[in-house]
Amino acid sequence: MMNKRSTTQSVILYALVLALVIFCVFPFLQILSTSLKHPIDWGNPSLIPRVLHLDAYKELLGLMPAKEVDVPASVQRLLDNPALSAEKKQMLLDKFSAGGDVFPFGRYMLNTFVISFVTGICSTFLASLAAYAIARLRFPAQSLMANGVLFVYMVGGVLLMVPLYQMSVNVGLASSAAGTIFSLFLIYLIQTLPVAMYMLGNYFRTIPFSLEEAAMMDGCSRVEAFWRIIMPLSKPMLFTVFIYCFVIAWNEYLFASVFLKQYQDFQTLPLALQTLFTSKNAIWDRIMAASMLTLLPVVICFMLANKHLSGGLTDGGVKG
Amino acid sequence: MSSVILRNVNKSYGNLPIVKNLNLEVKDGEFVVLVGPSGCGKSTTLRMVAGLEDITQGEIQIGSRAINDLPPHKRNIAMVFQNYALYPHMSVRENIVFGLKKSGADAETIKEKLADVSEMLKLDDYLDRKPADLSGGQRQRVAMGRALARDADVYLFDEPLSNLDAKLRHHMRTEIARIQHQYNMTAIYVTHDQIEAMTLGDRVVVMRDGIVEQVGTPMEIYLQPTNTFVATFIGSPAMNLIEAKIEGEDLVFDNYRLPAAKIANVDLQDLKSHDTVLVGIRPDFFEDSALSSPSDNLFEFNDIQVELVENLGFDKEIMFKLGGEDAKARLDLRSHVKRQENISMSVDLNRVLLFDTSPQGMLLNTGEV
Repeated sequence: MMNKRSTTQSVILYALVLALVIFCVFPFLQILSTSLKHPIDWGNPSLIPRVLHLDAYKELLGLMPAKEVDVPASVQRLLDNPALSAEKKQMLLDKFSAGGDVFPFGRYMLNTFVISFVTGICSTFLASLAAYAIARLRFPAQSLMANGVLFVYMVGGVLLMVPLYQMSVNVGLASSAAGTIFSLFLIYLIQTLPVAMYMLGNYFRTIPFSLEEAAMMDGCSRVEAFWRIIMPLSKPMLFTVFIYCFVIAWNEYLFASVFLKQYQDFQTLPLALQTLFTSKNAIWDRIMAASMLTLLPVVICFMLANKHLSGGLTDGGVKG
Repeated sequence: MSSVILRNVNKSYGNLPIVKNLNLEVKDGEFVVLVGPSGCGKSTTLRMVAGLEDITQGEIQIGSRAINDLPPHKRNIAMVFQNYALYPHMSVRENIVFGLKKSGADAETIKEKLADVSEMLKLDDYLDRKPADLSGGQRQRVAMGRALARDADVYLFDEPLSNLDAKLRHHMRTEIARIQHQYNMTAIYVTHDQIEAMTLGDRVVVMRDGIVEQVGTPMEIYLQPTNTFVATFIGSPAMNLIEAKIEGEDLVFDNYRLPAAKIANVDLQDLKSHDTVLVGIRPDFFEDSALSSPSDNLFEFNDIQVELVENLGFDKEIMFKLGGEDAKARLDLRSHVKRQENISMSVDLNRVLLFDTSPQGMLLNTGEV
């Protein structure tokens, strides 16, 4: 007979679990709540906005109708002058438009998405090859290499930041936007590879070797067996590793802040958010909406990874 | 199909020898069973033929080509694994045709082979299922199907039935024998189950500690084991071995004097050079004296006290003491012996084997028994 919990024990347990969940979720709820509040509602301590105010989101996503330009009468008279060229008129108008007020959220999101996606794909691919070698092949200094890659985590990013930037300047990469982004991509790759390798290596070890042997008996070389048997069987873990690398690159701030400082157009979201916080656009609802939109892909990624992690693909292959 | 030749094959892990100087020729279309206790090197031998283990020394040939340095996928060998090793992400159909597709067979051939194999192994209803949705027996049949669909030179079986229950094992054993005869496959089959070895093999190779103890047809192995290891390993219950003194031309133990002259193919002069020998009598060769027809070559063991009777249906196993050792006899259902009863049992002396008392326990009978 299993021991049944008493009612009191159950209540205490659930209360503790609830407290923990609230503790973890509260900041997110606060962000969500503020992002949906109208400026007049900011003083309201309740998490539920009095009126649902989506302007911040609309503005960030570029869904707001173009603002009417409020031009003083004297300037309007100038504009009415037919002798003035259309180009000049536009320049005049721009001075009074709200253009400088717009935070190019879409562009930052695209920047971040591209670098995170490429990092995720490349890191997963390279990690799968390396992890297979470490998990399955025998070669000199195998365990040294397997453990050696984890040394990357022994040195903090802050210590590496300046030398790495210096290196990219020395090799000439930092002199162009493309080169800078490439160096950043290399850094993200190195940052994510060890854990990706570790995760995949452990997963590969759970796939019975006899499946590869069977493929070899069926006429596959070792490389073919890897692509046709190991990789399809590792889909859940490959996906998880991809998500891990994607999220690391998505949230990375330290290196991006150094490398992309001078390339405003190529900044990533964490960096852009920091800029937003300190700019004249630092309005609560906009900051919170931007944070929420930055969080969203990460949350979606984790939900997907969670769904994929539950299924074991190797079931039924071998008698065990 | 092709023959397989193993010449002076050795395998060791570091300093630990696993297979020692193995020589074996499997003829074209022959079904050879490697049998032996765990750790005797039989699976390693099979894996060396497959190319899944390196050969430390020696040569393996398939047909006329030496395959030592060929990777497994270039050897054109099909193999059934002990744990089935089905591709879990593929359907039964994809599992079966995987090797065929890989070998570049055309669509028509693939279709025909799939139909053949699935009909023969009764897999028609499961072709679209994944291995996880099959029972153990069905998985085993898919594993067989995957190998049989291939047009391989040699088929290897690594204890394919060991994970099945007794009834299914018996059924699949019969199926394998039928398929092997139908396709006239060159096959090497590894098992530790002596019944599989006896029933399936054209020839049986008995191994121990990396050494081949005997190669022969199942009946040769059963009737004329070259040493006490083979004698006791093959046959269930195991052969009774009783130490006997040599007095003149008689073998003496307890109150019995077995006339050596009546035992088939025994060189009396040679026998006299030994002080003691081991007398080997298979439990199956005992007969209830009350039921046996008289013959001058029968030796009667009188006053045997039955210690235990195990009824197995048609047979019954009798346990008793002979030469101070525990001994067993298998009598058929006509015999009505009971526990603690004193009975007489007879043995045809032509069926009695003699072994020397050296650690190897070599057979002293010469020629056909």
